[in-house]
Amino acid sequence: MKIAVLNNCVPYVWGGAEHLAQALTEKLNEYGHEAMLFRMPFRWQPPGKVVESMLACRLMRLPNVDRAIAFKFPAYYIPHEDKRIWLVHQFRQAYDLWGTEFQDLPDTVEGRQIRAAIMRSDNLSLGQAQRLYTNSGVTSARLKKFNGIDSEVLYPPLFESSHFHCVEYGDYIFYPSRVTASKRQHLVVESMKYVTTPVRLVVAGKEEAPADLEKIKRIIRENRLEERVTLIARFITEQEKAELFSRALGCAYIPYDEDSYGYVTLESFHARKPVITCTDSGGTDVVVKDGKTGFVVPPDPKAIAEAIDRFYADRRSTQAMGEAGFELMQTLRISWEHVIECFTR
Amino acid sequence: MKIAWFTPFSMQSAIGRASAAIVGELSKHATVDVWHCETSGVRKTPVRTIPFSKALAVDLTDLASYDLVIYNLGNHLPFHREIFHLSRRFPGVCILHDFVMHHFFAAYYLEDLKSPKAYIEAMAKLYGEDGRAVAADALAGKRDRVWETDEVVRYPFFEDAIRGAYGVVAHSHFLAERVAKSYCGPVAYIPLAYDVVKPARPLTRAQLDVPEDGVLIVTVGHVNRNKRTHAVIEALGRIAGAGDRVTYAVVGPCDPAYRTELLELARSRGLERSVRLMGYTPDETLQAYLTHADFCVNLRFPAIEGGSASLIEEMLYGKAVLVTNTGIYRELPDDCVIKISPENEREGLPPALTILIEDADHRQRLGNRAREFAEGEFHPANYAKHLLKFIWEARSAKPLLQLADRLGAQMTELGVQAGMEIVDTVSSEASKMFGGEKGFPQASADKFQR
Amino acid sequence: MKVIIASCVVPFVEGGATFLVEWLGQAIKSRGHAVETLLFPFSANYTEMLDQMMALRLLDLSQHGDRLIAVRTPSYLLQHPHKILWFIHHHRPAYDLWGTRYQDIPNTPEGICYRDAIHQADNIAFSEARKIFSNSRVVAERLKQFNKVDAEVLLPPLGDPERFHCRSMGDYVLYVSRFTHHKRQWLAIEGMRHTKTPVHLVLAGKADPDSAAYVNDLRSQVEKYGLQSRVSIIDRFVSEQEKIDLFADSLAGIYFPLDEDSYGYPTLEAHHSGKPVITTSDSGGTAELILDGVNGFLTAPDPEAIGQAMDRLYLDRAMASAMGNSGRERIAQLNITWDNVLEKLLG
Repeated sequence: MKIAVLNNCVPYVWGGAEHLAQALTEKLNEYGHEAMLFRMPFRWQPPGKVVESMLACRLMRLPNVDRAIAFKFPAYYIPHEDKRIWLVHQFRQAYDLWGTEFQDLPDTVEGRQIRAAIMRSDNLSLGQAQRLYTNSGVTSARLKKFNGIDSEVLYPPLFESSHFHCVEYGDYIFYPSRVTASKRQHLVVESMKYVTTPVRLVVAGKEEAPADLEKIKRIIRENRLEERVTLIARFITEQEKAELFSRALGCAYIPYDEDSYGYVTLESFHARKPVITCTDSGGTDVVVKDGKTGFVVPPDPKAIAEAIDRFYADRRSTQAMGEAGFELMQTLRISWEHVIECFTR
Repeated sequence: MKIAWFTPFSMQSAIGRASAAIVGELSKHATVDVWHCETSGVRKTPVRTIPFSKALAVDLTDLASYDLVIYNLGNHLPFHREIFHLSRRFPGVCILHDFVMHHFFAAYYLEDLKSPKAYIEAMAKLYGEDGRAVAADALAGKRDRVWETDEVVRYPFFEDAIRGAYGVVAHSHFLAERVAKSYCGPVAYIPLAYDVVKPARPLTRAQLDVPEDGVLIVTVGHVNRNKRTHAVIEALGRIAGAGDRVTYAVVGPCDPAYRTELLELARSRGLERSVRLMGYTPDETLQAYLTHADFCVNLRFPAIEGGSASLIEEMLYGKAVLVTNTGIYRELPDDCVIKISPENEREGLPPALTILIEDADHRQRLGNRAREFAEGEFHPANYAKHLLKFIWEARSAKPLLQLADRLGAQMTELGVQAGMEIVDTVSSEASKMFGGEKGFPQASADKFQR
Repeated sequence: MKVIIASCVVPFVEGGATFLVEWLGQAIKSRGHAVETLLFPFSANYTEMLDQMMALRLLDLSQHGDRLIAVRTPSYLLQHPHKILWFIHHHRPAYDLWGTRYQDIPNTPEGICYRDAIHQADNIAFSEARKIFSNSRVVAERLKQFNKVDAEVLLPPLGDPERFHCRSMGDYVLYVSRFTHHKRQWLAIEGMRHTKTPVHLVLAGKADPDSAAYVNDLRSQVEKYGLQSRVSIIDRFVSEQEKIDLFADSLAGIYFPLDEDSYGYPTLEAHHSGKPVITTSDSGGTAELILDGVNGFLTAPDPEAIGQAMDRLYLDRAMASAMGNSGRERIAQLNITWDNVLEKLLG
């Protein structure tokens, strides 16, 4: 089948949806189809540009294409009779961000007209799709709430998972991620003040801003955690990450209110390691089930420390939870095989 | 080239008669099918005719097989209703026979749709708050119905008749210019074509009961205040001895109230034996009156037509004609007709009538000149020639007009509203890119809505 | 510098400058710049052209990138304050192929309107460009003739020429190309009939369902002339490495499509492998690269002349080798390098 994968594009910016679109394209080719990725430049400032981008997409054509799969607004406006959508983002400024400081559209006559136009055409375009998937329960809930449209959740798998494996349940908790305030690595570092077992912590990732890194370093210094906490303050390779997961005891992933479960949780489960997350981390609760595949605790250093200690103290339980995490991914069908099947049947 | 020609085609329709003449010539250069609604009393034509009943019943794929579809539009709803509706479903070139289409749309909104609200909204959309107020007041009885007054020329409604067309043909420079002001697309002025049937053995003057040595003045066609018949009678009343010398025949139906007014006026001026209001007249008699007429009177004020078949007929009969200097009549050469200034009608009519009554040579000269001019200008072959050229022009513009339609439709589907910036952006960008010297039809979310 | 490369493609159709766009992106990245490559799907159906052109006008790239390099038509309609064109070809049915059997727009007033609209939009886009380059002299001339625009010729190099090398001057001339009639592999077979030496011919190209009939015809042709032992047809997927190896041991490259604008990558592949190229006078752009007797033979498109050229190379390997070297020199002389390309496009 000849498949066009459609995403939008803000030049030089490459985020989760971009990785997913790229990954899907590559996987489709791997599974024997012909797939090509097209990215539409998208501007939303000044606000009038949003409607221009929408119209531009409506005027595009996809000749010689059997099926189209679109990820984001306004790429899903490109016409095709067999269009499937894997919705990662609507134009949230018109929906849940309207009325907040992030609404971006001015509350003027024109701004409101643009908002109305977006809602109207979204209902049309999303409604016309042959199949409508979203990447998370949160996205589906938003879609139902604002557009009254039903959708199915299709969980994004890791692009490559074969390199993750389990060698042993070692003595350190692993937290790989971009170092930012919202990922809250500082909170896990702080919790190491309160652990009672000899467990250690390895944090790996490039900082978004120097201040984020400074904060962590200061916590380590002030609490004399240099022996306990290893800070790899740079971008690590996939190989390095797999290696570190293979010997970890478990994983900590405690971002603030994210839509999706994050690839880190999947990486951990592929390595058969359970995950500690927080009650306010958002979408991680899809895969991290308290007591079954890890622990879900309040965002408090003492509570996090307690969970970490439990991993260390009861190795058998830790291993069982890690295995259960891996099983849960199968149950939830978080796999490329499932994704490809959804889009090519 | 294949053309579909939509027209009223009954024997009563002057447009039908013009169509038959034009289509006859056109078919020498293209395949022409005449589409018509009438089932009886239909004109004969050597060209293929296709009857249809309702616009909605027509299969658009049939129309898609033509290179161009042409719609003849006029002010009379019963004759043009289905043609108009079809022109909205399947755009083509509109031949706009009447400048004022108000009667058509008033009847459509008020009688077909039975929606006074729709009439008021349509007036508001075209003519702003003034239009809305006038319409609302008229329907509420606070003022006269617009189409019954001279004010109607300020609210002509032709704009709605030609909305979405791929081209417009008008039969006067005046109307072509008016159209071009509000319509973005090709517009052409083509002098209306008409033919005459001159009887081989017309009824004699005696058979018409017209004195051999008298002067026969003829006015042809449906008569109402707009035709200024009352002014003519009134002027004749001021010419000494007119009553004995002149027969003034109004050959055609007359509005009943007006008829009463005219008869009373004639009586009061002592012209009751001179003036005859014939009512609906069979062709043979009409042709006889035209044959024997010494001159014709064809006044109009205000001018609401797009072209005048009766005028062409009179000129082709070689008659001197007295006209009002307005609208299409203003565009006639000065040596063919006598023009009366509308502002100066009362003062101007008696001397003009007198000259024509007294001077037979002058009448003859004018009449000959008129016929010469009419035979060239209003010949169906001339019309066909110009029309073919315009069809080519309209076909050349069609892709861009269709693009504008598509852009407008897409924007509408996206929920774009009139006044949003994108409408202007798209318009100006399309114009710059594809417009050429003639510019580009403005794409807008509302203007090209069906 | 931040560079945006934009191009229009018909999805899943070969050619369309995909290699040029890819290699350009790689070259720019390797020089340390940030590159964003945007491919836009495009239908060549004339009834859909104007709408798609509008789409390109409405996509605003003006805030992004220091340079926009637009490659395949009509990507140059995108608006950008610093727009450079590396122009590959027009929508030819609306230009030089109008009036031929390749005209795909009807010869009606409507069709002429589309054609003129395409011309006008193109001209607007050209006037907005800071600079216009073309990939061949032929195309530059067409731009001048039809659009009154001056374009500088900027010849496209191979993506990674260093991979090609010479291992030996072998016994076979190599025709690497998609199997399709206008590439004229059939003419090479005809040429083989007139050879007197035991020179071989190898035809290698992408196999796709559309070419099956043509390839069958070629096989029949070979059989008819009893050339089975001397002509090999490889109509399956050939990897880059296989191609490199085939060139490495060849005697010469042979490439004479009918009237193509550009010299084609196979000619460069041959020269980078140190081999001369046999081409014909009606091949179009190859004449820009191949000088008769210097870096190959430019013969009449006549089987006898082609056969003779093959024989001459077979009999004089030293000459063939020298011509191959001249080929490398010619490439340098014409500045067919990424350094040159980048200097022109980003300068």
